[in-house]
Amino acid sequence: MPLYDYSYNLIAENLELFRFFYSMLIAFICLVVVVKTDRLFKISAHQGIRYFRNAFFFYGVAFVLRYCLTDIPYFFLVRAVFQFFMIMAGFFLLYSLLWKKFETNEKNKSSFFNPVIFLFYLITIIIILLDYLWNVYTFMFLSQILLFGLASIISCINYKKNGEKHKFLGLYFVIMILSFFAWFLNFVFGNYLGWQLKWLANIYALNTIVFLVFLYEVIKLTRKQD
Amino acid sequence: MAKKRERLDIIKDILYSIRNNRNIKPTRLLYSSNLSPQMFKDYINELIAKGFISLEIDKDEKKTFSLTQKGNNFLEEYRVIERFVENFGL
Repeated sequence: MPLYDYSYNLIAENLELFRFFYSMLIAFICLVVVVKTDRLFKISAHQGIRYFRNAFFFYGVAFVLRYCLTDIPYFFLVRAVFQFFMIMAGFFLLYSLLWKKFETNEKNKSSFFNPVIFLFYLITIIIILLDYLWNVYTFMFLSQILLFGLASIISCINYKKNGEKHKFLGLYFVIMILSFFAWFLNFVFGNYLGWQLKWLANIYALNTIVFLVFLYEVIKLTRKQD
Repeated sequence: MAKKRERLDIIKDILYSIRNNRNIKPTRLLYSSNLSPQMFKDYINELIAKGFISLEIDKDEKKTFSLTQKGNNFLEEYRVIERFVENFGL
């Protein structure tokens, strides 16, 4: 396919620029989602919106840090902070679907300092330490595979319950599956096959689609109705 | 069994009651909100603190609630918030 080959060569020749644009695009999408959802949260004080907003705030920071993960001083420290934001973002996204089972919306508790979130912090720190000790990303990948596996199951249940009335629930389920698949590919290529540019570009494309779908739906749903 | 109302629904119901009955008295609002007196008090205090409603006391010491501009804006945004929460399964 000439177009595919052309795109591949273009990426290979401008890899650094490509990485920069990819990271900044995702960070920008996250910024827009955070601004839009923060407005809704400030009006409603809805905890689910709050955790959803936190997830995209953490993804935004993680993708900015991700771009910095090259040969820099204190690489291990930047990597640990990157992993912290990336893993916690996954936890926040999953918890935005689950929070009703663990807390009520009656009291306006902190979304960063409450018992469940402390447990997530603890698990995240353990994962970072394990990855640091073995000098791998395996534990982070496995944690995200598990998180998005759970998120896929929950979003499937939500779709079966209310999919007729709320059309996006179906697409939400699909993007959770895609995210699960993207993390699975990360795990396989990071541990067994090595990072080949061709596959890396496909994972980047998959992630970009997921974030763009979120952006589209957030913009669509936060628009005032006439 | 009827589904328990969510916090957002309770706030919406209180605000609609106030909007539909301008200058509503506390007792009437309590009945229409279908809440326990303690919960009603908590919600009312929160809505006053947020600036969604205001409490007015006339010269005969009679108390009434009225909707502020911010409360009106919230009701307009309510549908947007509800659609967002339902579509993302939050």
